[in-house]
Amino acid sequence: MSFIRFDKIEREYIVGDSIIKAVDGVSFSIEKGTFNVVLGQSGAGKTTVLNMLGGMDTSTHGSIFVDGEEISKLNEKGLTTYRRNKIGFVFQFYNLVPNLTALENVQLAKEICQDPLDPKEMLERVGLADRMNNFPSQMSGGEQQRVSIARALAKNPQILLCDEPTGALDSGTGRMVLKLIRDVAKDMGKTVIVVTHNAPIAEMADTVIHMRDGKIYETKCNECPRNVEEIVW
Amino acid sequence: MVKGALFKKSVQDMRKSLSQFISIFIMATVAMSMVVGLDSIWKTIETQSDIMYQESNLSDFWVTAPNPSDTELWKVLNIDGVEKAEKRFTVNSIAQIDGKPTLKVYAMPAENTLDLPDVESGKKLSKQGAVLDKSFANAHHLSVGDAITIEVNDKKIQFHIEALALSSEHIFATKDASTILPDSKKYGFIVVDEDRIATAYGGVKPYNQVALRLSGSADSKAVQKQMDGIFGDDLVGVVTRTDNHSIDMVSGKVQQFKTLATVFPIMFFLVTALITLSTMTRLVEDQRNQIGILKALGYSKRSILWHYTSYGVYVGILGSIAGVLIGPNVIGKVLIRNLKFLFTFQNYDLSLNIPNIIFSSILIILCTGGVSCYSCLKLQDEMPAVLLRDKPPKKGSHIFLERLPKVWNRMKFSSKLIARNTLKNKARMIMSILGVMGCTGLIIGAFTLYDMVTGVSKTTYEKIYTYDQKIMLDTRTTDRDIKNLNLDGVVQDTQETMMELTAKNGIRKMAGVSVFSKDSPLIHLQDTAGNRLTLPEAGIAMTRKLAELMNVKVGDTINLKRSDDSYVPVEISEIVYMVSGQGIYMTNDYWEKIGEDFKPTSVLVKWNKKDDSFLSSDYVESYVDRATQKDNFKQNLTAVLSAAFMLITSGGILAFVVLYNMGILNFFERVRDLATLEVLGFHQKEIRPLVLMENFFSAVIGILFGIPVGMAITYILQSGFGDDLDLIGHITPDKVVISAIITLIFAIVVNSIVSKKIRTIDMLQALKSVE
Repeated sequence: MSFIRFDKIEREYIVGDSIIKAVDGVSFSIEKGTFNVVLGQSGAGKTTVLNMLGGMDTSTHGSIFVDGEEISKLNEKGLTTYRRNKIGFVFQFYNLVPNLTALENVQLAKEICQDPLDPKEMLERVGLADRMNNFPSQMSGGEQQRVSIARALAKNPQILLCDEPTGALDSGTGRMVLKLIRDVAKDMGKTVIVVTHNAPIAEMADTVIHMRDGKIYETKCNECPRNVEEIVW
Repeated sequence: MVKGALFKKSVQDMRKSLSQFISIFIMATVAMSMVVGLDSIWKTIETQSDIMYQESNLSDFWVTAPNPSDTELWKVLNIDGVEKAEKRFTVNSIAQIDGKPTLKVYAMPAENTLDLPDVESGKKLSKQGAVLDKSFANAHHLSVGDAITIEVNDKKIQFHIEALALSSEHIFATKDASTILPDSKKYGFIVVDEDRIATAYGGVKPYNQVALRLSGSADSKAVQKQMDGIFGDDLVGVVTRTDNHSIDMVSGKVQQFKTLATVFPIMFFLVTALITLSTMTRLVEDQRNQIGILKALGYSKRSILWHYTSYGVYVGILGSIAGVLIGPNVIGKVLIRNLKFLFTFQNYDLSLNIPNIIFSSILIILCTGGVSCYSCLKLQDEMPAVLLRDKPPKKGSHIFLERLPKVWNRMKFSSKLIARNTLKNKARMIMSILGVMGCTGLIIGAFTLYDMVTGVSKTTYEKIYTYDQKIMLDTRTTDRDIKNLNLDGVVQDTQETMMELTAKNGIRKMAGVSVFSKDSPLIHLQDTAGNRLTLPEAGIAMTRKLAELMNVKVGDTINLKRSDDSYVPVEISEIVYMVSGQGIYMTNDYWEKIGEDFKPTSVLVKWNKKDDSFLSSDYVESYVDRATQKDNFKQNLTAVLSAAFMLITSGGILAFVVLYNMGILNFFERVRDLATLEVLGFHQKEIRPLVLMENFFSAVIGILFGIPVGMAITYILQSGFGDDLDLIGHITPDKVVISAIITLIFAIVVNSIVSKKIRTIDMLQALKSVE
């Protein structure tokens, strides 16, 4: 059985009188320790998939299994615990707490986890050893995103979910951030799922799930994923 | 339609932050209604009493002297500044109706123009006619056309009631300063013909007072001083307007409410300004982009500034309109009802203090509009391009606590976050602390006030006085009569009279004198700390407040003016604490030693078996139960108690609005942080304290600061009671604890409302983009 399995997942939103299907019958599987990209135009439903996988949103129909547990059946509290222990998030806009320093933002994760990694080590790993006591407002976008990666990984999660992690960064910085995600995740054996509209990024993935209009359009396995350095966008 | 579009935007914006604008509105309304309501009370008292003083042509002061001669009158009239001097006669009589109430008789020549009764119905024409106190007539179901007989100088005279009237000297109608609450059944006035009253004095017109009217520029004190020279030994005393119990009570109440109307609203104005500041600062920051767009579109600096200022101005105007409506109609109406028991006016229509309403309205609009303008000003000088760019992320900063690594490193992670958040928003913190401080202070003040009023009636009528009844004796009843009657119970004779006291520093006072035996079984004098005292063998005991007013202390000597008009020096040997009825006390032995006769005016009795035949006998003029005195005392202060409850209510509103505002602002400002934490897997119960602790912090600090504020409020309240009452409020730990608990309950209620909001956080929305 796969590490992550989506089984005929549907997600409907009620907007006024009409029902909008953001995700319409999506099924896929993801293996442990792989690097995956969900690709699609805006409105394709990729972020909704990521949110459901991350326990931030619930499906209307269908089942989601993660590590043998059916998370689509969990209640709010169960989902919180699931997020807390299994998921690490990286967002487009970093979402650091402005009133906490870089180190403290990473320590946030440590606060709640069963088996956290050392925050200082994580920051060293993302190359921010000398910026630990800086506040987010004193850092560049790339640095902030690196803090956010350190924070996600410090929780020692099984799955790292990244929603347009390079969306707010220039391509050079974006590449560096992607490389960092890829390398660290590989080292630590994490399963990574990156959501993006940026097709070239898909070239570095083990598996690419291409979405269109709420449905999976194509699932493709890259026999030999390219290095980040080789990708241009 | 430039203005139209911006106006629509303001309405939309306000609708979005409805709860905050409602908070501002409520605070502005409370502030305004307090000012307008409390102002309306003293303004009404002042207006109504002024109308009566005007209409009755009230004198500036009265000189008491037996049978003033025409020469003396002429001399008085010749003093510089004296416009009018008129003779009159006044004495207490006993009305020959149920309960033998006292009627104060006024008789004067027909041509007199000063101190006329304020006739409400009927017209006095004949010599047999009389003008009767309207309240007294109502209480006894007498009306124009009825007859009334009074007993003066042991002679009974009958009059026809031809008119009913009010009197400027009987607005607060008590027989003497020791009676606490006016009772029209027991005391009133009657104006009669001087020739008719003369029949009781063997045909001689018995004038005993000269009423004086001074010109506007005259120095009243200087004129008073010359009376000694004119009347010599005949001068009994000078009664100024402030010596007149009724006039003094009226001006005292005016003063009391003036103080209340000034002190309390200040805090509410301040908090209104702070709430507006925190709300508008956030709104303007949120709309940074929109300001940029407006500027880019070519809106002038002034029109944008006015756009944001107008938010505050609208709310301020609405608040002041609501305040002007609520103040008199709620606060005014409730309080004026209590004053009807105290003051007899022609009517009780509320008068408004218009200049102050205008002033306060401007002030409140400044607190809202002015502050809004201020919070918008700092973005005005930015270029549109800068404003259109995304707001730089909020600056995090280190706080002073971090310089104390011992403390900082031992703090829990969430405490660190809370500490940073709290200390970064100083204005908001100050607002909350002020709000809570005001709330605690007001509640402590109100409790102390309540306690003071009930406590002193308890002290006075349970600890100091322990008689069952105080029986006022007929003037013919002697000490010997009482002894011979062998009343079944503990009996104590007392003599109560008024005397003029003169201190070495020149301060003169007419004060009550109470004389009784040293063992005093039914009056237990005490000092301010509540320790029991006995009357000194030699010298007198003076009440604390009187000593303060005369600026004298134990060991000082003062002069008493004896009934034979000579002065006798006596030493103040003791200071006693008496809540109401300031005066001096001495033993009957000492009283006789200074050359006076001990002639009891009343007898206090603690009955073994109540002797009704004695009470209804001719020995007795009237009597009163201690329980009744206690109730009356409380009732006199109900207006104050109502004010106290209004203070508690407004304190509650204050705390509630401020804490709610702060909670909601905290919530909105951190909604992104909170969503992030939620995504990271923090549970609701771990997130909640991050928002709510700040409220608790300011609640706790506010409560601590509230204690001295409560003391100040108590002090203001107790010193506003006039010269007659000596109230000392004690802020006890239990009051502080109860007030703190009440305030904390407010904080908890607010927090539970805010924490409901936390549950509605939409993680996905909050994470989408930088707002």
